[in-house]
Amino acid sequence: MNGHTNHDRTIWVGSHDAHTLDAVSAVNPRRRRRIPGIAAAVGAAIALSACATDAPQDTWQPAGENAQKIHDLQWPVFLTAGIVGVLVFGLLAVTVLRFRDKGQSMPEQTHGKPVIEYLFIAIPAVILAAIAIPTVGVVMALADTDDTECVINVTGQQWWWEYDYEVEDDGTICGFAPTAAEAAPIVTSGQLVIPADTKVLLRGTSRDVIHSYWIPRLNGKRDMVPGRVHYLRLSSETPGIYAGQCTEFCGLSHANMRMETIVLEPDHFQQWLDNELEPYTSPEEGTLAAAGESTFITQCSRCHQVNGLVDDRGTDDPDDDTLVVSYPDQFVYSGAAPNLTNLMGRNTFAGATFDLLTDECRADVWEADPEVFGERYLAGVTEDCLNEIELREWLRNSPAKKPMYADAEMLTETDGKTRGMPYLALSEDQIDELIAYLLERK
Amino acid sequence: MADTAVAPATGHDAHDDHGAHHSSTGLSNNKLAMWMFLGSECLLFGGLISTYMLYRGRHSENLGPDQVWDIPFTSASSFVLLMSSLTMVLAVSSAHRKDDRNTKVWLMVTALLGALFVAGQVYEFTTFYREGLGFTTSLFSSSFYTLTGFHGVHVTVGIIMLTSLVGMIGKNRVPGDKAETVELFGLYWHFVDVVWILIFTLVYLIPA
Amino acid sequence: MAIIERPTDTPAVVSPDAAPAVATPATSYGVFRRPVETTGWKSWLFTIDHKKLGIMYGVVAMAFFVIGGIEALLIRLQLAGPDGTVLSADAYNQMFTMHATTMVFLFVMPMAAAFANYMVPLQIGARDVAFPRINAFGFWTFLFGGLFLNTSWILGGAADGGWFMYAPNSSVAFSPTNGVDFWALGLQITGIASLTGAINLIVTVINMRAPGMSLMKVPIFTWMIMVVQFLLLFAIPVITVALFLLMFQRSFDATFFSVEAGADPLLWQHLFWIFGHPEVYIIVLPAFGIVSEVLPVFSKKPLFGYPLVVFSGAAIGFVGWGVWAHHMFASGLGPISVAVFSVATMAIAIPTGVKIINWVMTMWGGKLKFTVPMLYAVGVIVQFTIGGLSGVTHSVAPSDTQQTDTYYIVAHFHYVIFGGAVLGLFSGLYYWWPKMFGKMLNERMGRWNFWLTIIGMNLTFGPMHVLGLQGQPRRMYVWTENRAGDGFFNIGFWNLIASIGAFVLALGVLLFFVNIYVSHRKGTQKAPLDPWDARSLEWITTSPPKEHNFDRTPTVGHLDEFFHRKYEDRGEGDHHDYHQVATAEEIIAEEEAKGDSHIHLPSPSYWPILLSLALPIMAYGVIYNIWLIVGGAALALLSMYGWGMEPHTAPDDDYDPPAAGTELEVAAHG
Repeated sequence: MNGHTNHDRTIWVGSHDAHTLDAVSAVNPRRRRRIPGIAAAVGAAIALSACATDAPQDTWQPAGENAQKIHDLQWPVFLTAGIVGVLVFGLLAVTVLRFRDKGQSMPEQTHGKPVIEYLFIAIPAVILAAIAIPTVGVVMALADTDDTECVINVTGQQWWWEYDYEVEDDGTICGFAPTAAEAAPIVTSGQLVIPADTKVLLRGTSRDVIHSYWIPRLNGKRDMVPGRVHYLRLSSETPGIYAGQCTEFCGLSHANMRMETIVLEPDHFQQWLDNELEPYTSPEEGTLAAAGESTFITQCSRCHQVNGLVDDRGTDDPDDDTLVVSYPDQFVYSGAAPNLTNLMGRNTFAGATFDLLTDECRADVWEADPEVFGERYLAGVTEDCLNEIELREWLRNSPAKKPMYADAEMLTETDGKTRGMPYLALSEDQIDELIAYLLERK
Repeated sequence: MADTAVAPATGHDAHDDHGAHHSSTGLSNNKLAMWMFLGSECLLFGGLISTYMLYRGRHSENLGPDQVWDIPFTSASSFVLLMSSLTMVLAVSSAHRKDDRNTKVWLMVTALLGALFVAGQVYEFTTFYREGLGFTTSLFSSSFYTLTGFHGVHVTVGIIMLTSLVGMIGKNRVPGDKAETVELFGLYWHFVDVVWILIFTLVYLIPA
Repeated sequence: MAIIERPTDTPAVVSPDAAPAVATPATSYGVFRRPVETTGWKSWLFTIDHKKLGIMYGVVAMAFFVIGGIEALLIRLQLAGPDGTVLSADAYNQMFTMHATTMVFLFVMPMAAAFANYMVPLQIGARDVAFPRINAFGFWTFLFGGLFLNTSWILGGAADGGWFMYAPNSSVAFSPTNGVDFWALGLQITGIASLTGAINLIVTVINMRAPGMSLMKVPIFTWMIMVVQFLLLFAIPVITVALFLLMFQRSFDATFFSVEAGADPLLWQHLFWIFGHPEVYIIVLPAFGIVSEVLPVFSKKPLFGYPLVVFSGAAIGFVGWGVWAHHMFASGLGPISVAVFSVATMAIAIPTGVKIINWVMTMWGGKLKFTVPMLYAVGVIVQFTIGGLSGVTHSVAPSDTQQTDTYYIVAHFHYVIFGGAVLGLFSGLYYWWPKMFGKMLNERMGRWNFWLTIIGMNLTFGPMHVLGLQGQPRRMYVWTENRAGDGFFNIGFWNLIASIGAFVLALGVLLFFVNIYVSHRKGTQKAPLDPWDARSLEWITTSPPKEHNFDRTPTVGHLDEFFHRKYEDRGEGDHHDYHQVATAEEIIAEEEAKGDSHIHLPSPSYWPILLSLALPIMAYGVIYNIWLIVGGAALALLSMYGWGMEPHTAPDDDYDPPAAGTELEVAAHG
């Protein structure tokens, strides 16, 4: 099944599409002769579901070790279920056709034949035992994390994910030593970046309600429960962007809580790591971005951290600056807000809900071949590619763009703290400045 | 608790046609219904006890079970409740002998012992509360008060049932078979006692 | 107590209108005259007749079915296209929460209760259930609980946490409206209804069977209902505990699910699913019972392997307790638990498979007549099998971690619940309609009803398999074109199909109501006494049955008693040759002629409805004002006192003597 993933989708999916539309419109009880058409459509659906091409969260296109283990287990089960279904329906069809009332005499009033009954207990029992044994094996295999090479902390909150890369005892992060800077913990959100061919273990929890981390092409889902630590293994050999979505209902914007896992070749990962650790550079004085920095400090920095940002406004003394440290716990119920240090190094924002890239540029990155993916991803968001419309809408009124609390009157229950980003009443000028400033954050 | 409120009703609602004499099993409808109800109650207390067992260790350092329990006192009140089971047995046996006077006396004694137990529980709760253990103080306290509170409500309902029964025997208004009605109340009472023995053992005696 | 005094020399009459009966008021107790009216609204409001209560259960359940259906249509409208704007996120979350809650607790369960109430006493040859007043209490409690739950819509918003209401998302901080309070209290109230109903029906089946009806001669529907009542008996208290904890959490500041206080949110999940998984069988087994009644009748054969179907029903009832954690494969239980629950879940597929095979084997060698109830029954076999097989795919725990909380699960359980339970209930409606109302439902219209429903349900839920495997999670109020994929599996296409299907399905259900209207128009024929050539006891009486069900308590010698009274096997050895020896009319006339002379039936009562009314009042009190609790409790105590004081054996002189010639219409059904 896996082998089909590289088919050229545009040619044959297109042709099947037309075929199926036709078949679906033919589901009409008065025209029984179309039934073969339906059967063909179902057949096509089964065949296609094994090798579909272009659904970012398709559960049948494993691209990681654990997803592959799951897939190797599940397709025979689906197949078996399908065969059993066909047999049962076949038996039923024969029964219905053969024994309909044609005036035959009253049948024998028998309550059954023990042999047949025991046989029909034995057959499903054997089939299920055959399924159960490998199932237990795979459950155990998936739980095995002894060979972990890299641990990353994952924290869910309404409605985004935070990733926290710790510095190991040997001074590396995920086995990679920073080239220039000294290793320091990296905090990002939305897009999880991992090196290819590395057995990564996510150590996950939640700051508010239960969320579930799910990258279908890399592994099954795992609930991240507040007060508990759960583990999830991710690994892939193929560089690329793997989409996922929170799958445990987590309140108002559950539908908007998305995430991606980015797999990079080791040297690309090294590049990403170095970039994350680069010291902060202020925008050139007098530019729009510089105005944006000061707007950011007054409007955004209470909740959003930009590492290395200093507040030197109102003083000429270069030594008299204060490091700007956010304190989201005072304003946000979960107590956290995304770190924006390298916002434009990612290509989605607001819990990976919206794209930072325009559709064209997005396609370039998302659909890139594994060989060129790393470069394109690391290029980040350029001015030409910025999806300014949605970023602007977001800054203008974020709760209108992504529902975060149904009724502002109800915030007393949380001591006035919002869930997610509140409406900030920014002026259009401020928004211009902020966009210019943020565009340099990469 | 609303489902216990239904219990006395089960005691009254028999079809006389389908009473003990005509049922398919020989058991009376009322008794069977009471057994079913108690079976259901087992799961109710099972759920509450599980909750308590999960949370009993979750409290601040100086307000855990070891600090607040007064084992001798609770043992005494447990003994009182146990004795009430004995008097209940006496009431049932008097009822079977059709000895109304003694039935009433023993039912009354049972109710009084039950009331003494509830009074002890109220006293115990007040003491704990004074020591700072409120309902919302910790997970331990919430689950403790919920569990023992539910049990206390069951005892209280039992006391109301017993006193009503005494009144009804007095006015000769007991519907159906009097001895069986007393027996039904007895079943409920013994059940509540047994649950307490379980609670006392698990909550008070086994160290957290 | 009323007495139905039957002069023994009355000639046998079959028509229910002419049944000679005298219902008399018993006024000797209390201030109130007992409400003994046999017609008019009071005869419904205060009735304790299991048949009237059964019909009321059905009517109310159908009303909630419509409400839940409208909620479903709104959901599908919202998801028909990308970035739907029909509902806000908040409204959508309320909508899917209430859709599930309504369909499970206020439609499928009470609809099964409707059939259980109406049919179980008739199937076992009893004149009523063991505790008729508790039965009435159960119905009113269910109705008031359901109404209470739905008043949340106009009182600040309904519950928005999903029907599973996982903690801590159900806490006040995350769900600040009163919706979750209404939900918790409303389910608490309907839970009381289910629990009392369970005790009542268990006692009825165990104790009130007709002479000769051993447990292995009990009709299969009654058997399945009994298994369900045992499940309810033990499952309801578990959810009761969970709901109490939630109520204490939300209304009295307890911290059972507050993580900051050290609580474990998984406690709720375990409690919920220990209830929730048996609940699945509570939903589906009554329909299995109906199908197992309908298939033999229209195959003219007994149920294949009746003992095995009984045992597999009971086995499902037992094993159903050991598989709750398969709803939690992604919750982080640890591999050992996951493996154990995974295998246990596979084990439960065996008894379920037994049922399907037994149904097919019942038809095998039969003489099949595809009436509407039979069509629905065969529909159950097909649709439920699909749901069962998709169930097997996620009993495989690793596979389930890909599928759980996606639309694949939504597809699965709709094939089980709609394809299994709802189609089964419709089969029952068509099958027993003539029994309950004395009129046949129109067969031609029924066929349209059936085919539209089947096409609609497959169009709606079939595409959800694809959506789920393409990674569309449940409970999301919008989907975006950006991540929809393209080509055959474009989720936009399949979402649209599902939405169109939902409206086809709605049209199909609508036809059912049209059918009721068409079939009850003036001038439609009365139904024959035995329209289907049925096999079980409920047909050995008039349609609709008289208030006292049977003129004479039938004596049972066979599982399919009615069949064996109608037919005789004159063949020898292996050769069978069945001859009809009696018609239903003759059999019923004979019963009538030999009818019992004294039939005691309990009188209607005010107290059940009053006691039920106290519950929502107290529940409003928990949310709004403590004095309402006090008021409600006072009403409850008063009702219980009245109930307790109401005699169940009145002295003989309390009855009016049977007035010759005073004929009251006993049954006012239909």
